Amino acid sequence: MAKMLFLPLFILLLCSFECESFSAENPTDRRLLVLVDDLAIRSSHSLFFKFLESRGYVVEFRLADDPKLALQRYGHYLYDGLVIFSPSVQRFGGSLDQAAVLDFVDAGHDLILAADSYASDLIRGIASECGDPDAVVIDHVGYAVSEIDGEHTLIAADDFIQSDVILGEKKIEAPVLFRGIGHSVNPASTLVLKVLSASPSAYSASPKTKLSTPSITGSTIALVSVVQARNNARMLISGSLDLFSNRFLRSGVLKAGSLNKHEKSGNEQFVTEISKWVFHERGHLKAVNVTHHRVAELAEPAMYRINDDLEYSIEIYEWSGSSWKPYVADDVQVQFYMMSPYVLKSLSTDLKGLYFTSFKVPDVYGVFQFKVEYQRLGFTSLSLSKQIPVRPFRHNEYERFIPAAFPYYGASFSTMAGFFIFTIVYLYNK
Amino acid sequence: MVAPVEPKPGGTLRNAFGGVLGFFILLLIGVLAFSIRLFSVIKYESVIHEFDPYFNYRVTQFLTKNGIYEFWNWFDDRTWYPLGRVIGGTVYPGLTLTAGTMILNSLNIPLSVETVCVFTAPVFSAFAAWATYFLTKEVKGIGSGLTAATLLALVPSYISRSVAGSYDNEAVAIFALIFTFFLYIKTLNTGSLFYATLNALSYFYMVCSWGGYTFIINLIPMHALLCIVTGRYSSRLYIAYAPLVVLGTLLAALVPVVGFNAVMTSEHFASFLVFIIIHVVAFVYFIKGILSPKMFKVAITLVLTVGIAVCIAVIAILVALVASSPTKGWSGRSLSLLDPTYASKYIPIIASVSEHQPPTWPSYFMDINILAFLVPAGIIACFLPLSDASSFVVLYLVTSVYFSGVMVRLMLVLAPAACILSGIALSEAFDVLTRSVKLQVVKLLEGPLSNAGETKDENSTAHNDVLKADKQVATNNKTEDVKERPSKKNRKKDKENTEKAPVKYHKEKRLLVLPLEASAIAIILLVVLGSLYVIHCVWAAAEAYSAPSIVLTSRSHDGLHVFDDFREAYAWLRHNTEVDDKVASWWDYGYQTTAMANRTVIVDNNTWNNTHIATVGTAMSSPEKAAWEIFNSLDVKYVLVVFGGLVGYPSDDINKFLWMVRIGGGVFPHIKEPDYLRDGQYRIDAQATPTMLNCLMYKLSYYRFVETDGKGFDRVRRTEIGKKHFKLSHFEEVFTTHHWMVRIYKLKPPKNRMKGKAKKAKHTSKPLSGARRDGSTKRNPWQ
Amino acid sequence: MAKSTSSDVLTLIRSLRSAYAATPTNLKIIDLYVVFAIATAVIQVVYMGIVGSFPFNSFLSGVLSCVGTAVLAVCLRIQVNKENKEFKDLPPERAFADFVLCNLVLHLVIMNFLG
Repeated sequence: MAKMLFLPLFILLLCSFECESFSAENPTDRRLLVLVDDLAIRSSHSLFFKFLESRGYVVEFRLADDPKLALQRYGHYLYDGLVIFSPSVQRFGGSLDQAAVLDFVDAGHDLILAADSYASDLIRGIASECGDPDAVVIDHVGYAVSEIDGEHTLIAADDFIQSDVILGEKKIEAPVLFRGIGHSVNPASTLVLKVLSASPSAYSASPKTKLSTPSITGSTIALVSVVQARNNARMLISGSLDLFSNRFLRSGVLKAGSLNKHEKSGNEQFVTEISKWVFHERGHLKAVNVTHHRVAELAEPAMYRINDDLEYSIEIYEWSGSSWKPYVADDVQVQFYMMSPYVLKSLSTDLKGLYFTSFKVPDVYGVFQFKVEYQRLGFTSLSLSKQIPVRPFRHNEYERFIPAAFPYYGASFSTMAGFFIFTIVYLYNK
Repeated sequence: MVAPVEPKPGGTLRNAFGGVLGFFILLLIGVLAFSIRLFSVIKYESVIHEFDPYFNYRVTQFLTKNGIYEFWNWFDDRTWYPLGRVIGGTVYPGLTLTAGTMILNSLNIPLSVETVCVFTAPVFSAFAAWATYFLTKEVKGIGSGLTAATLLALVPSYISRSVAGSYDNEAVAIFALIFTFFLYIKTLNTGSLFYATLNALSYFYMVCSWGGYTFIINLIPMHALLCIVTGRYSSRLYIAYAPLVVLGTLLAALVPVVGFNAVMTSEHFASFLVFIIIHVVAFVYFIKGILSPKMFKVAITLVLTVGIAVCIAVIAILVALVASSPTKGWSGRSLSLLDPTYASKYIPIIASVSEHQPPTWPSYFMDINILAFLVPAGIIACFLPLSDASSFVVLYLVTSVYFSGVMVRLMLVLAPAACILSGIALSEAFDVLTRSVKLQVVKLLEGPLSNAGETKDENSTAHNDVLKADKQVATNNKTEDVKERPSKKNRKKDKENTEKAPVKYHKEKRLLVLPLEASAIAIILLVVLGSLYVIHCVWAAAEAYSAPSIVLTSRSHDGLHVFDDFREAYAWLRHNTEVDDKVASWWDYGYQTTAMANRTVIVDNNTWNNTHIATVGTAMSSPEKAAWEIFNSLDVKYVLVVFGGLVGYPSDDINKFLWMVRIGGGVFPHIKEPDYLRDGQYRIDAQATPTMLNCLMYKLSYYRFVETDGKGFDRVRRTEIGKKHFKLSHFEEVFTTHHWMVRIYKLKPPKNRMKGKAKKAKHTSKPLSGARRDGSTKRNPWQ
Repeated sequence: MAKSTSSDVLTLIRSLRSAYAATPTNLKIIDLYVVFAIATAVIQVVYMGIVGSFPFNSFLSGVLSCVGTAVLAVCLRIQVNKENKEFKDLPPERAFADFVLCNLVLHLVIMNFLG
């Protein structure tokens, strides 16, 4: 970093937010603030909170309209994560409001937000950053039969996102019980992922009123979705608070039309895994030790010359919840970029986190960048660029004494010799 | 009344005295040329002016810090991001090397780089005046030489390019130009190889200094050809021309920026063609010399048949070469010289520079003043005895008049020619008039005998002559009292002009005796004319051409206002941004940004890459979002615009905006000029087109402008702006200078979150694609 | 007709030879030198035609050194030629000194440009 002083301009845009959201030095003792409508939730959802506490989180419960509520003091955030389990709150207490919550996320902190069949405008407002909450989801086909529920608002959903990173490597066998509202996700937004979608037969409407054309139907309804903001802060939006409740976690499930009765719903596994993801215990990458140098040299040059051969290496690690583990993949690529990538190469790995490659600098001079853009589903995005100028040949670096030019050299020298002889002859002739 | 102080038989003392006097006059001319250019330092401060000088200044700093080899190989990664620029290979190094050596040689006197840079131009204008003296002396004698040198020291056209602080190539190039011409004429007159060598070296210096060297390499062949055609071929011409072409070409090829162009481009072909012709002619003369006339006739038929065939072949080869090279071997600037409409038709970037426009008649008057009227007389004087040298001067004048008619900038080339010819004209006129006065006064006085004793005859002592000359000055001073010191000197020199009427013309000129009264009146009129010229020049130097354009002043009823906004803005950039941040602005401000703010720029005044400039032009004429994407893809952090609407500074970006549209549209056809014009009119008021009102340049210029006076009245365009209240979504204002002349905006980073609302989905999809395109800073949605 | 032309040519050549025989030796030496330089230049051009103009700077300096030498020698010849009335007051020593200086500059430049 001391080299940032002059010509070699290293822009190391290595998620500088990382430090704020996620301290590698002190990954435990992370503080969570849970906002609830009613402290009863503390007991009705105790299993979920116990999971969190068992993984080292300090959970603090507050009523959502507690007048002394504050996320930050003296410009520092007091919490690393926020769990809003208060679907009906109209106004937060204290200094907290919608903007404060969003600032909290923009500062790189994580958020879990759960709505319910009823969600206040405030909650909808926050959720609208991720999706557009709609009405209660009803599914007359995919409902869970374990409950006597004429309105079919209790859904057994099993349309999970296909991602080991978000939901863990172990497949969730049992459907997840869900009762609440669905939301639509902005299809253009690439930050939002539908983790749990409704089945094609679902629609979203208010069960009490007469049926009109539902605004969203089928699998476009997102039941649970996550957002990974550009600063890698993660948000979980669930349309159902009950999803996290002890009752749902414990109960068995039989999906209508399915013969396979599960003893236990998938909720427990689901909420455990997804909360691990939301709180960065999985899928969090870091890239360190970006180095590049000419082949057979070790020091990093301030500038390359065209057609130089260079070696580039980077180390990538993933946070495993307790330590940084080498990240292994075969699709990490580096670009040698100036307005467009001149070189695009896959990096080879030594399986210990080190990725490396070597290539030839193109025959073009200019200010290039080493760019690593690594975006994979569920992983934090790695976006590194390092600026490096490439200069043309110096004047004394061109080829000399070209054989084809020897006659010319000969001619030049022969005229010079001729000049001497001529001078002598001419002068002595007198 | 002034007796000639010149070498008459019997007066070696006088001769020496004349020489000493001439030397002191020359010295004074040098001082005059230097000091008249110091108005800018006195009135403003010792700063470097305008745009290009800042680049030269930066290059000189680099040179003095890193030495010549580093300079030669300098690859600059702080301009033209991300392309970079090979400075060593694309810059004319003459000026910087000159200043650099001046700095190195001043080891004992501590001079800062900036001081040397500021004063290089005045010093070289003194040299140029001396070179003019030598050139004119070769053509028409010492008297004309001194007059011409004085005129050149004062000519406004040259002052405009060489005031203290305008550290530009032209400053040294004009000296090199005149000196090369002088050496050519000198070689032509003496036929000495020594001067031919010096000529080639001087040409080399010219090639180092300025792209205008092509003028020399075309003018001299033209003159050689003219001499051959008019039957004035001599072996001296051969000696003056042939070594120059060979050595000059070789030396020019040594300059990296010229390189192989010295033999590959058609600007130089004329010299090679004439080189061949002159050899043929020389050979013919040689044969003629050794053969009897009868045999010569036989030979000539033979040689002609062979020679014509060879010539046709050579021409065919040349044509093929020219035709095979791109743009027919001519660079755009040269083409626009030959066809003045070329640039405006094809290359908006050349046409956009104001100094590439054709000049108007007032600008002729402004820049060369009365010389414009004296020049025809000078031409006549040159034709009276037409010599090789005087024909060269006439040719120089004719071509430079043409070129100056094409480009304002080349007025600078015209100025020396005009000075030389006017000097000749003035000097000849004084010569004739004073002689006729003298003869008649002598006749008059001889009748009643000499009572005063001071006006004896031509053989009076030199001392007396000077006395008389001074007296004349004194009497003249009475006629016009608006006299300053320089004008006095000027007058004195005018007197001196008469001193060297070439002896051999003396007799025939005796016939040209005019009536006493008429010649006295004519002398007075000429003196008045000369003093008017001096007054004009001093005014031009003091008022018109001294403004550094980096600091502006305006006089109003409540005193002098100084607008130092540019330096304020650059200082802000220097102190408040990261070292490697990129600043985008229109190319005019590129050199200043790199030199003063030390920040990387996207484009600068070295307009070598049209596409890159067009990209910036497109960004400036696009709506905010598209502009953000373009800038973001170039890693731009800050955007700088110059806005004169608050204080009425006319050369701001809004006034240059149409060129941005044109240049941008030339490469990116979705930018169309008519979209920005309402009924062919460029306007920014309520009648303006929506495209105009929504483009980035408009928004950045007028953002929050309405807050200044509540109405948003633009004092340059003299109208209220069309769109007053608006917000910027992708840029944020970070700095605006005191008089709002420079406004700096920062690109907002992409939104951390994306609105999930479907209604706004369309709205947010655009910045997303921007993020995808750039991807360098933030999350790139690939999955 | 053809016969007369050929006889003309013959007489021409003869008279040329006789006229040339009258030239002083020092001029003949210069002529020899010029011929040598031009021949070298022609050889190089032919070589360039065969091999191609790749090291263009070498080719340029090679050819131009020969051409320059020839041109300078011609200049010298003009100056020291006693029949030439234009240079009566120029002593041949001075002319030769100028010639040497000029050649030195030329060859310095050539050396610089060759590589």
